[in-house]
Amino acid sequence: MPDLSILLHDNPGKRVLLLGNEAIARGILESGIGVVTTYPGTPASEITDSISEIVSKTDLFMEYSINEIVAVEVAAGAANSGVRALTAMKHVGLNVAADMVMTLAYAGVRSGYLIVTADDPECYSSQNEQDNRFYALLSNLPCLEPSDPQEAKDMTASGIEISERLELPVLLRTTTRVSHTRGPVVYARLKKPKMKGEFVRDVRRLVMVPANSRPKHDVLLRRVEEAKRISNTSPYNRVVRHRKNRELGIVSSGSAYNYAVEAADLLGLGASVLKLGMTHPLPQTVIKEFLTRHKKIVIVEELEPYLEMQIKAVAKDFAPDVEVYGKMNEQYFPLAGELSTRLVATGLGRITGKRLPIDFGKIDEKYAEVARDLPSRPPILCAGCPHRASFYVMRKVAGDEAIYSTDIGCYALGIAPPLHIGDMMTCMGASVGTAEGMAQATGKVAIAIIGDSTFFHAGIPGLINAVYNNHRIVVAVLDNLTTAMTGHQPHPGTGITGMHMLSERILIERVAQGCGVNYVKVINPFKVKEATAVLREALQQLGVSVVVFRAPCVLESVGEKRRKGITVGAYKITDKCTNCMACIKMLGCPAVIVEEGKVRIAETLCSACGLCASVCPYHAIEGSCEE
Amino acid sequence: MNEFNIVLAGIGGQGILLAAEIVGAAAVRDGLNVRVSEIHGMAQRGGAVVSNVRLGEKVLSPTVLEGQADVLLGFEPLETIRNLGCASRRTLVLMSDERVPPAELALRGIKYPSLKEVIDRIKSFTEDVVVVEARRLAEEAGSSLAQNSVMIGALAGTGRLPVKARILIEVLKELVPEKHVSTNVKAFKLGYDSVRKAYKEV
Repeated sequence: MPDLSILLHDNPGKRVLLLGNEAIARGILESGIGVVTTYPGTPASEITDSISEIVSKTDLFMEYSINEIVAVEVAAGAANSGVRALTAMKHVGLNVAADMVMTLAYAGVRSGYLIVTADDPECYSSQNEQDNRFYALLSNLPCLEPSDPQEAKDMTASGIEISERLELPVLLRTTTRVSHTRGPVVYARLKKPKMKGEFVRDVRRLVMVPANSRPKHDVLLRRVEEAKRISNTSPYNRVVRHRKNRELGIVSSGSAYNYAVEAADLLGLGASVLKLGMTHPLPQTVIKEFLTRHKKIVIVEELEPYLEMQIKAVAKDFAPDVEVYGKMNEQYFPLAGELSTRLVATGLGRITGKRLPIDFGKIDEKYAEVARDLPSRPPILCAGCPHRASFYVMRKVAGDEAIYSTDIGCYALGIAPPLHIGDMMTCMGASVGTAEGMAQATGKVAIAIIGDSTFFHAGIPGLINAVYNNHRIVVAVLDNLTTAMTGHQPHPGTGITGMHMLSERILIERVAQGCGVNYVKVINPFKVKEATAVLREALQQLGVSVVVFRAPCVLESVGEKRRKGITVGAYKITDKCTNCMACIKMLGCPAVIVEEGKVRIAETLCSACGLCASVCPYHAIEGSCEE
Repeated sequence: MNEFNIVLAGIGGQGILLAAEIVGAAAVRDGLNVRVSEIHGMAQRGGAVVSNVRLGEKVLSPTVLEGQADVLLGFEPLETIRNLGCASRRTLVLMSDERVPPAELALRGIKYPSLKEVIDRIKSFTEDVVVVEARRLAEEAGSSLAQNSVMIGALAGTGRLPVKARILIEVLKELVPEKHVSTNVKAFKLGYDSVRKAYKEV
């Protein structure tokens, strides 16, 4: 990781290149936030990873919480005790946290509290592309939507101010193209956080029993009215381009704004542009004025027609003659996937009748011609990944007879050939519960595949449910001793915290035993024989069995070896090889390649896990996995 | 300068994101407006990686429009082809000859195309192709892992990048791990010289 101490420079006016997420981390340091919580998830992870990286040089406290709802709970406790707080999560994390967030909106906060939700249009690294602006509408909480790293930083500070003024949590909604874009950011002054607060008892304010909730709902609605006033005068809601031409006006927000302006320029449209940065509640007065000034309004937004629905409602009351174009009736812009300057320009071209200066169709045609039959290069399990060994064992023992429900993490990549492990995957922790239903409905063997961090996050209730309701399933915990997919964050099973402190290491096998599971075994998946015998035995059990496949993530173990100066010697194919291709057909390891019809091990990729040697029927692969 | 668009393409582990960050940070230090796009997480594990660097006062979007790249910096031949959609006749393709066969080739029993085939396909988009011996030069500098620095050097060597080479080296020294600085600076210079030479020969 590059040196993040740059985030600590107290040098107002300094201009540096930052990732959107690093800019939010800088925003945390500029707004006196004292407690930072998270459960890691792409594209949000670098916000809190950056804070963890530099935390020892700051006064603040950060934690990798067990899941998103606990992260919000911890932060809400702090923000109701006089310390400013922030929680960061990916969009689907807000589903996990929603129960807390919806009622926290009633209870409110005393000190500023910002919830960052990083949405992922195009599902670059997510199971869905839900539009979390609707959580703002659902919860009545204010929402800020940055378009670039500078705004991401500035809105972190503004969000805390708004939160404190309204005594409400505020949502900061980014998308992949904001969180994972680097851009120049100008610093403001660092602000030392207040780390010790006081909890003031106020049962009517904070204990949400029905008698208290009813009046608090009214309080919340009054705060929304106040938030509307803030929104109407917010510098983030402004006409960034004034054009005399009253024919066409564009309204946009977030990443879509960047495409909208570039597309308008590409087409040479002389359109005024209203940029919305505070998108809940919307600035009704500002919108009303913009609508009445134009004949046609185009709304450019990614995913759902969130702005369009609300702007059309404003138009109906105040500017019934204005024509509004977007994606609700005729789809000028797609509802699914991320936008681009090209998609927006195409939509604007259809609306205005202007011709695009670039012949995209011709480029597509030419590209299709050169890229024909190009082999794909999807993400795959790394060479030496212990999950490959675990999947090999599962395939060998249970094959196609079993149903494999799987979960969120690197091991979702098990679906790729030749392993083909993974029959259903939805959300964090769901593998366990879905396996129970599958076993119940089919009478077949069901194996739930779940990672270590995911087990702690949401797997435990499902496991208790399996024991309690007498389900017959095998839970395979693929424990690589880290939260690998999101960037190797620690979790309760590692015994290390985000503050780099030691803590009690919570062992998955002991948790399983505590949940009432009688058959619990821990194995090293690279010891193929032993692992095979254990999985066979687990499948014979009448109730729930838990097998923990434990071996460190190869990126961690190889990195550790390199740091210690231990060379990782690659395995080699000997002349006993008959080119039977068993290794290729069974494992799909990127280090085992075929050149000129012969199997070879790519020495720069091989991490000496030895799995290929243990599966070779001719003992033709040699090497040493000893350290 | 209106705008200058670079598409960096290759596979996870080749140091593409770092290369893009170095170019972007150097541009900011040189007073330019910049957007650098990255994709992390699931999309990264050994799979294809693309990063875009856009320079210019009016640049807002982090992604390069089809046909609008000034330079396609290919860290791997197949990935260079995969990203030709960003190229047009005015695009310079700077491509490493480092071939990394995707797993699918072995499973389907297909051959990796020859360098000539790759270049022929590129030429249907642009005649302006320069092949960089990234591995050989990186090894000459001291480590095959320094191929990304060779490629940044090569980019600077074209003389088209609106960022000073001196500032690129300065930023590179700050962003690569301390013990690998001298190897990477050497790799940068070898990449730089190799392209300068290629240009002279033309």
